[in-house]
Amino acid sequence: MIADRIIEQGTLTTRDGRTAVEVRIPWYRALPGSCIAGAALTVDGVAAPEDSLRWTMNNRTFSFEELVDETGEWWFPLDSAVLSGQLPVQDDQAEHEVRVDLKLYIPYIITDHGVLHIEEHDTKTMKVAQR
Amino acid sequence: MTSLGTPIQGVTLYSFTRAFHARQYDLDGLIRKLASEGFGPGLEVIGFSSLRGFPDRIDDNFVGRFRDLVAEVDLVPTSLAVNVDTGIHRDRLMNHDELVEYMRKQIEVAARLGFPIARVQISLTPDAMESLLPVAEKYGVTLALEVHADQHGAHERVLALRDRYEKLDSPLLGFTADWGATVAGFAPSLLEAYRRRGASEDLLRQVVDLWNGFYAEGPPNTQKVHGERFGAFIGLAARNGRPDLGIDFGINGTGLFGPAPLDTWLEIMPWVRHVHGKFFGIDENGEEPSVPVRDLVRQLVENGYNGAISSEYEGWHWNNWQDPFDIIRGEQAVQRSAAANAGSAMITDATDARRILNSHLAQPVRG
Repeated sequence: MIADRIIEQGTLTTRDGRTAVEVRIPWYRALPGSCIAGAALTVDGVAAPEDSLRWTMNNRTFSFEELVDETGEWWFPLDSAVLSGQLPVQDDQAEHEVRVDLKLYIPYIITDHGVLHIEEHDTKTMKVAQR
Repeated sequence: MTSLGTPIQGVTLYSFTRAFHARQYDLDGLIRKLASEGFGPGLEVIGFSSLRGFPDRIDDNFVGRFRDLVAEVDLVPTSLAVNVDTGIHRDRLMNHDELVEYMRKQIEVAARLGFPIARVQISLTPDAMESLLPVAEKYGVTLALEVHADQHGAHERVLALRDRYEKLDSPLLGFTADWGATVAGFAPSLLEAYRRRGASEDLLRQVVDLWNGFYAEGPPNTQKVHGERFGAFIGLAARNGRPDLGIDFGINGTGLFGPAPLDTWLEIMPWVRHVHGKFFGIDENGEEPSVPVRDLVRQLVENGYNGAISSEYEGWHWNNWQDPFDIIRGEQAVQRSAAANAGSAMITDATDARRILNSHLAQPVRG
């Protein structure tokens, strides 16, 4: 699909120990929150703790536990969502390696093994964006 | 004797997924672009891809602007592709009543936007289609269930639907025939994409040989055979030291390139209300090297088909080195040439297309 565009170049931000990056859907159609089944955010090889991860779309912020039942808010193909987590990153001129892993359910493809899920990832190198 | 059909030329916005996703065109810009390129007059849209807030937040303001735009650029809405998201809840599949309501909302939007057909999907059973018939009647929208790889026109699930359609005898229940069910070769552009990922010529030759073997055997008629074929691609990749490519080989080799013979379409031809002109690329001779476009168009013409053919370019998944607009221009030229060779013509005029589509379909959409 469109995994090479998951991470939006130049959108790494960090503040008070929390770090965030904008992400795009690697799929051709919108999916609801309930189908966004998991993510990981890693900077320079260090992963944000799972329970600190938050997902922001349509100006609402969710934990991944809250997304499980969310069928009202949808991730549209043109929109960036924001993935953030507790992860101290040096706010300097250095290049950082950012990795995002995503697990999505595809709700109309039901296989012998249940609802199809896809796991996609992307890695890009960028400085902390200057605000 | 059946008189020769005059299929309506069209395109689905799905063909331009990569450009839309990259924000090179917004919805209005993309529609204007394909109108100016002459890719219509038929226009197909996937609701969940192109319409923000679909289906719950499509307000009258948006509907008015969409209809005005389509009228201004003189396109003809053919099919709104809707999705059967049975697995939208993490812990269970949708129940019957939820499913009917989920589909009703999407079909209602299709009617409001002026689409006479809603493309629905294979997970709808004959019982579900029967339950949706009153919805189709309420909105005047034809439900055209999509048949594509790994299914085909003579697959037992498709035949069961056909038999129920025959019993219900409603012109509002039919099929979308997707040419991905009847592919004749592994797409060369996908082989090129694997080459760019470092796959050896020896491995690619084995992939082609494996697929050609399945083509010779015919399409899988059970899920078991389908699974075995998927596994064979994974095994092949592993034996050649490229296990990272195995699932990709399997998904594409079994899910995109359906090896059914062309005559399987004849099983359901009277119920074909819409066609996805699925294809993967155009070669240096201006031909589609893996989808038998000429034979498919001839078959439709000779069987009196007067619905739309939406050119559905799917090579965008892997082909990021060629312009999709050039590729679609090339494929539609092949279609027009094939229709002429069959003694007919593709309809490219919007006024003619409206008239022919209205008589092809049973009743006007009530939006």
